[in-house]
Order: sequence, then C-alpha cells, then structure tokens
Amino acid sequence: MNNPYLPYPVRIAEIRVETEDKNLRTFKFEFLNPGDEEKFAYLPGQFAELSVPGQGEIPIGIASSPTEKGFVLFTVNRVGQVSSYMHNMKAGDIMGIRGPLGHPYPLEGLKGKNLVIIAGGFAVTTLRSTITWLLEPSNRPNYGQITFIYGARTPGLLLYKEEWMAWEKRDDINVYVTIDREVPNWNYRVGFVPAVTKEVCPPPENTAALICGPPIMIKFTQPVLEDAGYKPDNIIMSLENRMKCGLGICGRCNVGPEYVCKDGPVFTLAQLNRLPKEY
Amino acid sequence: MPALSDINSKIRESARKLLADGRAEVVIGYRQGTVPMTTSPMFARKPAECDQLIWSNFARINLANYLPGRPGKVALVAKGCDARSAVGQVTENQILKDNLYIIGVPCTGMIDTNLVLAKETRPIKELVETTDEAITVKGEGFSTEINKADVLRRNCQTCANRTPKLADELIGPETPGANPDDFADIKALLNKTPDERMAYFKDLIKDCLRCYACRNACPLCYCPICFVDETRPQWLGKSTDPMDTLTFHILRGLHCSGRCTSCGACETACPVNIKVREFNRVTELTVQNNWHYEAGQSWDQKPPLTMFQTDDQADFIK
Amino acid sequence: MPEYLVKESGLKEFFQSLANGRHLLTPQGTGDKCKLEEAGPDKVNLDYSNTHMSPKSAFFPQSENLMAFHNKSDKPNPFVYQDLGDKAQPTVIFGIRPCDARGLSISNRVFQNDRFTDPYWKGKYEQTIKIGLACASPSPQCFCAAMGGSPYGELGLDVLAFKVEGGLGLKPVTAQGEELIKQTNAAQEDLAQEIKKQEAKAIEAQGVGTDLKPIDDKDLMELFQDPHWTATAENCLNCGVCTFFCPTCHCFDIQDEQSEQGGIRMRNWDTCMSWLFTVHGTGHNPRPSKTERVRQRFMHKLKYIPLKQDGIRGCTGCGRCVVMCPVNIDIREVALKMCQPPAQSQA
Repeated sequence: MNNPYLPYPVRIAEIRVETEDKNLRTFKFEFLNPGDEEKFAYLPGQFAELSVPGQGEIPIGIASSPTEKGFVLFTVNRVGQVSSYMHNMKAGDIMGIRGPLGHPYPLEGLKGKNLVIIAGGFAVTTLRSTITWLLEPSNRPNYGQITFIYGARTPGLLLYKEEWMAWEKRDDINVYVTIDREVPNWNYRVGFVPAVTKEVCPPPENTAALICGPPIMIKFTQPVLEDAGYKPDNIIMSLENRMKCGLGICGRCNVGPEYVCKDGPVFTLAQLNRLPKEY
Repeated sequence: MPALSDINSKIRESARKLLADGRAEVVIGYRQGTVPMTTSPMFARKPAECDQLIWSNFARINLANYLPGRPGKVALVAKGCDARSAVGQVTENQILKDNLYIIGVPCTGMIDTNLVLAKETRPIKELVETTDEAITVKGEGFSTEINKADVLRRNCQTCANRTPKLADELIGPETPGANPDDFADIKALLNKTPDERMAYFKDLIKDCLRCYACRNACPLCYCPICFVDETRPQWLGKSTDPMDTLTFHILRGLHCSGRCTSCGACETACPVNIKVREFNRVTELTVQNNWHYEAGQSWDQKPPLTMFQTDDQADFIK
Repeated sequence: MPEYLVKESGLKEFFQSLANGRHLLTPQGTGDKCKLEEAGPDKVNLDYSNTHMSPKSAFFPQSENLMAFHNKSDKPNPFVYQDLGDKAQPTVIFGIRPCDARGLSISNRVFQNDRFTDPYWKGKYEQTIKIGLACASPSPQCFCAAMGGSPYGELGLDVLAFKVEGGLGLKPVTAQGEELIKQTNAAQEDLAQEIKKQEAKAIEAQGVGTDLKPIDDKDLMELFQDPHWTATAENCLNCGVCTFFCPTCHCFDIQDEQSEQGGIRMRNWDTCMSWLFTVHGTGHNPRPSKTERVRQRFMHKLKYIPLKQDGIRGCTGCGRCVVMCPVNIDIREVALKMCQPPAQSQA
C-alpha cells in the first residue's frame, strides 16, 4: 500500500539565497529514486511536506511548475526548527519531500478567463509556479489577459528576480512590481499592493483574481477587488495553518469543517465567507 | 455536624452580598456536578446566579487556579488549602490582595471517589449527601452509607489547615485539623539508593498519559508557556517515553517547591489515579526541613526558593 | 442474519475459539481498571459499565512509530526512511460498547478519508474483528441514544453480543462476523424479539435525551459566533483529558526522536485543548485562548463532523469526558446551549 507519510528521498541540487536578509532560500531538489518524480505529479498551488530526518517536517508551497522537469523548487523562510536547520544544509545533502498535498489553483476551470495574480512578500511561491505554468506555450493560449502584481517591503525582499524581470519583458503578461517606500535606483513602482491593485487591476468581467500574501495585504486588497466588482467566487486565495500530516487526519489545520491541508489550501472568498476565520 | 444546606445558604448569602455591594464582580464557587460525586467550578456574576452555589464533599478542585492574572475584584469560595494557594498567589504577585476576597469554608476533608468505588463496586447511579460527614451512594438494588472519614483523600487525611485562617470571612465554625503529614514514607524513600528511587518514581508514573490535567488543575502552574510546551528549543519528547514523562513530573515538582499547599487538585484531576503529590511531598519535606516554611500561611512571606539571602545555607555546593 | 446463543457453560470454550490463531482482547478488571486486554478466556468481565479508556488505542496507539531514518547521506545510495508500519496481526476484540464501536467507525472515515488512507490505522482496523457488548444498564453519564446511537447499536461492529438469561446472545452484523461465530460453539437461536425488547428497555433507562436537531439546522457560523462560548469555556482547565478519553478524538502530533545513528518518526496523541496545537511559526495563533479551543472541540463533535459524515455526530455519548473532566464540563449541557436561540444561551 502507498504510505502517504513516507517521504521521497531527494538530494539538494542547489540552494539559492533569495533575499538580502538571507532569511529566504530556494532549494532545488532532485529525486533520488527513479520514478519518484512521476509519482510526485503536481499542479500549481499544491504544497509538500519537506522532511528532514531528526528535525521534522514543514509544509511548503511548491514554487516550481510541473512544466519544469527534473527538479522541484521550494522557497523556505527561516522561522522554526526545521527551516533553520535547512538553512544550514548544503547542496548534495539528502532529505525527503512528501506530497503533493492539497488542491491546486483551479486553473482548469479558469480557462478562457483573464487572470490577475496578486502576491505579497514571500507568499509569491505558488504563484511563481502558476505563472510559469501559464506562460508555457501549450497553456498560454487557453487564458486571456494575465496581470501580475507583486509587492514587498524593499527591493531586497523580492523573490525570483530573474523570473519576474524576464516576465516583464514579455508582451503576454503585464507585470507590476512594487515596494513600500522609495529607494535610490529603483525603476519599478512604489506603493502598497492594494493601491497598485486599485490602479491596474483589469475589469472584473470574465476575470479571476489569485491572491497570496500576508494577512495585512489580503485584508486591504480584498475590498479593493470587491469594490472593483469582483465576485467572491472569482477571488481565489491560499491559506496557511499549522499542519502536521497534510492528509486531513491529524486535525490541527481545520477552518470549520474544512482541513486546510486536504480540502484547501486554495479556497474562494465565497467559501471563506461561510467559514470561521481561524487561520 | 453541619448540614450542607446550611453551608450552602451561608455561601449564597455572602456571595449575593459581595456582588450587591460591589466588593466582588465575580464569585468563584462550586455548583452541583451533572453526574454523582462531581462538582463543577462556577462563576457567579449576578445575585440570582448565587443560588446555584453549593458546598459538597466533592468540592475538590482548587478554585484559586482561576485567579492568576484575573483583573477586577473577585471572591473565592475556599477550603483551607485553597485559601493558602490564593494567599501564595498574592505573595507571588499573581493577583492583587485588594482585589481578592476569600469566603473561607472550614473544611472536614474531601472524598476520594476511587475509595468510594473501592468500597461500593456496583455501578453507582445516584449520590445523596446531606452533611459533611457521610454520604449515601445508590444503584440498582442497593443503598450504601459511607462514612467520610473512611474515604478521605490522602491529602485531606493529613491536613492540619482545614480552616482557612487568612480568609476574609468564615462560613461556620472552625474545624479541627488532622495530624499533619509525618512524611514517614518519603523519608524512607529518600534513604533508598538512587536506583531504587528511580524505580519507585518510574512505577508511579507508568500510566501517565501526559494529558497535563495535574498541571492545569494546579494553582501553582500558571506559567504562560510550560517548559513541556516550549518548542525553541524543545526540552522534552512528546511521547509517553518513561524518561520524558518522569522529567515532566520531576521538574514540575521542583517548580512547585515550597509553594504546594497539598490541596490535592492534581490527584483529583488525574484521570489515571497517579499519586502526583509524591513529587511535591519530596520537595515540601525538603523545604520544611531547610527553611521551616509552609506556603500560604502569611501574606508577606515569599517562598524560600523565590528569594535570595546572604545567610542562605550553601552546604549543598560542593 | 440469524442470531446465535452461547450457553453460560460454554462461554470459556467460546472465548477460546475466538482466540484461535488470533489475538483476543477482552474486558479485564473492574471499575476504572477495566481494560480491553489479552488475557485468559476465563477472566472475561461481562459486568463492566465501560472500559476506562476507549478502544481507539488498539488501532491508534497513544505513541506509534511511523518510520525509522538514518542520517548517513554520504552513502552512495542512501535510503532515508524505512517504513515501520504494517505490523498488524489478526485480532478479535470482544466487548466494545456500541458507543465506542460507533466512535471507531467515525474515526475510520477520518483515517481513510476521501483523499488519503492512513496505512497504520487501516492495517489494524481491517485485521480486527470487532464484537460489541450491548449495554442493558446505562450509567448516569450515558447518552448514546441522544447522539443518534443505541445501547444496542451495530455501527462499526462485526457482531453484537448481548446478555440473555443463561448465556450470551450474538447477532452477526457483517459476513466476516458471522463467519467467525460459525467457527465457535454458538448455536443458532431466534433472539430477534429478545434484542428488541432489551434495546427498548435500555433506551428508556437512559431517559429522553435532548433533541439536538436545532444544531443540525443552524448555520455553522451562527453556532460559531454565539456569545455563550466565553461562559461555556470559563471553567475549562484546558487539559487534554476529554480528548484523550474520547473515542472519536483522533488528533495527533508527528515528532522525530533522534539518536546519533538515526532515529524514529512517531506520532503521539495531541489535543486541541493545547495552545501549541495551532500556533504558527510566526507566533500567530488562530485559536489563541481556551474559549476558541473549547469551541473548536464542541463544534468539531457536534457540527463539523456531521457536516462531513452525512449527519453522523462526532460524539457517541459514551460519557467518558463527562466523568473524567476534572471540572465536569458536560457535553450534554453544551449541546443544549448550542440548541438555544442566541439570546437565551448567553446566560
């Protein structure tokens, strides 16, 4: 029987320091055992448990896109025991990943629509996956206009610089990157994500918004979208809660009757409006 | 032999008056439990709610547990041990003395349900208690009267402080204390080898579930985050591994040194009947021997292990 | 399926044949020492109220090793984790009370949910034949009927046993159960009317429970936002007794325990009463005080599980939490408050 608690062994192929405070690092993993990559078939928005023997596990959104073959990417913030330990690991080290877990963004159901993708801080991870997937030549024609709004406090806290700078040069995605306060040599926007959203978000007709960011950003961006006429069904968010099993069994990540790990982490605002705010 | 109904009336009368006079915003007392041989802590805020307050031979949980950090004026229904705990909390700065009113109930000891169940093994469906000296338990085809003296909790059997001396008022006349704990068994234990003592304590906690009911029922355990819940670093494993479990109990015992009033709430709360108090008795004996101190007997004396004096004995430093 | 009868004189042989090639757990000991344990077939206690703890630990032990690991990443082809599951052995449990069997079936739908199967649970659950023992005489804390069960309920059981004059009646519930009974000295006997009679009497003895339909009818946010929760939680100590003794509480924590060579990944029972249960790495806690945690427990039992399990309540009325709770928080009283219109439940 397939044991969903058992991680696939992976080798750290590369570690990239993402932010100037060095608190975020992107880990590129390669599966040790042939066949495991196929078993780990995932879609943008899903997450995995990163598993370090003796330290424990942490649930982290998958930052790579299934269209990127041969590796998986996870960006890890140094917060607790496991993530701190991981920040001291080196390329070549062996650990485990377990998943994919949770439901992806409903990209299949969003075909034919315009998308506005709004990210704040390091919550951009699964949205990097989403955009990479959307920009794949086989997927891009299935969607309308794509708008990407991404903000962080300072330039040094923006992740995936190479990626978004490359996206910026394309003509099939509108990229708006913003920081909180003016700094020298900054060539992009200045201002909070809700304000930028208000300015650049496309009209709500036939458009869905995907949002991932810190609670404060979501709190102020959500009304901007609603004022713009977005229906709660078309505002799609990804939640975080403390998790252990990732399988809807160990019981701690529930929001009302829904387990963030198994039934989420992706929910529409319409769903969340009917649930306790226990996240 | 005071009737419980008399004690009830006096507690209610006092509580109503305290609420009406604004001397207390809440009266913490006991109400009848929903199954035989239980009581439940209750918080009376309106005079009408005071009618639910009762006294019982099963008023075992120490209500001082609800005091630490509580804002506003509060009145506490308290046995001798509970009142000492409340006084201890004042000395430990957990509650302001001015905010506290102790409704002292001179106690005759509380009943250990397990001892009742040992005496009457048939399923008990009903309890009748009219005095503080005996109870009657009933079930299908039986009605058994049990003398309270025969089924007292261990801590109550050796309680010399049944009357809450530092209470703001007493409900009824003072009750005589029992002969105090002579710690004979603990002294014998301490004369054993370390291996024997380890074996004794390991056996003591073998059924522990680590539910922490003992800790959470304890009026001394008011730390915002208990060391067993710390994660950075995590001091203890989370399984029922005997060493992790024993470490919890030993450290808790040490944390309570010189502060325990032998209220027995830990043992009452324990769902698997562990004699949790054995850990505290070891430290209490040590504190009594070295500092001649008993917790909660004075408003201004602090527990010895919370203070430093230049003439403290140092003979344990080798 | 027909009923069967074992005469009192044949009980020892009956239990011996249940144990044939299998582990047999039966009620051993009296009072709060009563446990489902492997012991001699002649010591089976048929007169217990209920076992001290629920039988869940036979399928979901308090501490369970999931996998072993070692840290030798310098090996050419290192394995990292080694599965420690799948050690289940054929087992018969005799003497599960119907409330607890119902609890097992509820937990089974969590451990084998719509997306994932927990192999550690499944192995034990499916290798165990569950024989219930009906409750002719309810205890003061019993309220299985009010929760939708019955002292003679069959949910989660393979066989329901019940005491009859001069012996033990057996009602097979599943084909597997009947197969087992046929391997014993039990003889077919028509006891259908006898069961009905006993069940009616036992339900009557429990008294009329509260009608909990208002909880089913109310919107979950209405129940959640009701102001009574602060008062309901006020005397709670936030210990984990209710959760540890509950037959349907299934929450656990996963922990690594390390030695120099490697270690073990294990799971341990956890409790939603604990502050630590939900705290985020950032320090944010979605259930920061005991009020939210107490609300979670009762909402989970009485609203969330019914929403997820076709209306079946997550409380089975075994009453353990009612008697084991150090401060006697009674789920029947809480359920009553949840049934009230908001204005009345504040008091």
